[in-house]
Amino acid sequence: MLKAALAIARKDLSLALSGAQGLVQTVLLGLLLIFIMSLSREPGELSPPLAAAAVFWLATAFGQVLVFNFLYGLEEAEGARLGLLLSPAPAQAVWLGKALSGWVLLFCCQMVFAPAAVAFLGQTVAGSPLMGLAVVAAVDWGLCALGSLLGALSVGKSSRESLLTVILFPLLVPALLAGIRLLETVISGRGLEAVGAWTGTVVAFDAVFTAAALVLFPFLYTGEE
Amino acid sequence: MIRLCALAFAAASIIAQYLIWFHAPVEQSMGVVQKIFYTHMPLAWWSTVSFFVNFVASILYLAKRRDAYSRLAGAAAELGVLFSGLALITGMCWARPIWNVWWTWDPRLTTTLVMWFVYAAYLLLRASDVGGQRQDTVLAVLGVVAFLDVPLVFISARYWRSIHPSVLGSQGGGMEPEMWLAVVANLVAMGLFWLALLAFRTRQLGTGAAVTALMRHGSIRN
Repeated sequence: MLKAALAIARKDLSLALSGAQGLVQTVLLGLLLIFIMSLSREPGELSPPLAAAAVFWLATAFGQVLVFNFLYGLEEAEGARLGLLLSPAPAQAVWLGKALSGWVLLFCCQMVFAPAAVAFLGQTVAGSPLMGLAVVAAVDWGLCALGSLLGALSVGKSSRESLLTVILFPLLVPALLAGIRLLETVISGRGLEAVGAWTGTVVAFDAVFTAAALVLFPFLYTGEE
Repeated sequence: MIRLCALAFAAASIIAQYLIWFHAPVEQSMGVVQKIFYTHMPLAWWSTVSFFVNFVASILYLAKRRDAYSRLAGAAAELGVLFSGLALITGMCWARPIWNVWWTWDPRLTTTLVMWFVYAAYLLLRASDVGGQRQDTVLAVLGVVAFLDVPLVFISARYWRSIHPSVLGSQGGGMEPEMWLAVVANLVAMGLFWLALLAFRTRQLGTGAAVTALMRHGSIRN
């Protein structure tokens, strides 16, 4: 399964990065969101680290929806989804492949969002940037596990991509809250005592939705329209 | 069964209302506003039960592929959204005079609101044509995922901060026995109302599906 998943992820990444269409749209939307949110502060005034972290994850959440709509849209042309389903790989390999490629793409987008948030929201990073990368990577996996599962909603003739946002966002609340608090700690260098509890929440979220996706994905990703 | 539950609800609600207004004492610090609690708590409680029924019915649908389970899950989600929405409104009416705010960050409030959002989206999906032929499967998957999220939302919201009173905690919340009787009576009355509505709505959805099948194919399938 892992081999097939890696092949799907490699295929998705090469398609996403060669055209760059999906990635550019995601990056632009995220940058726009961060810029618009920066208008909420007076000139010269600094945004609190908590607000900056919240804006960063808001941009990520919207970006995630675009990324998974794009990734699942790749197989909608020329009946490629049926080809994927007919291949000897298990359906879970498709979920894992999409989750991995989504994870990489989202991480790339965040590497643009992060300096933009620092610049537009007037932040200085007091904590460890390495811890920041680890937090982003860990929270991203939870977002991508759920995003890849529910992204399969956007396949078929009767899909409506805008609905995915309404469904996905409330489900992401635990991961987003943890991400906001942990990133606030990285930016401000304070609140280290709560890192353990929030890390536990992120690990639980990642584990629950990875397990749920492995069980539930074959029900969602079928040849039906 | 629906009639029986409705009649039992009518009788139980008369008793429950009597217990609220004439038997349970007026709470010393909150005054008469505390009486909202006897409606608020059963609404919140039965909304959680609705979401659990949705979860179980969704698993059963995925396992057995019987339309009846999908209809039960749909009816439970509708009741869950209705009851949790009313629990939020009654909670706000209580919070305003007691906490001096309509809304505050609290694990229970936040969890209820997030669940309201999730299941409102579920109903939106149910009303749309998303998923096409596999819509029931899509909804069942969402029903399972949504309920798995409940404990995670609660834990993360609790880490954020909390001021909600733990009324049903191990200390009993400092309630008088008369108050407890009123709480239990209202829980039972609301439960009967919930059961009657759930059975009625499930049957109504079944009838609707049968009529649609008759119109489309000239036959009924279950």
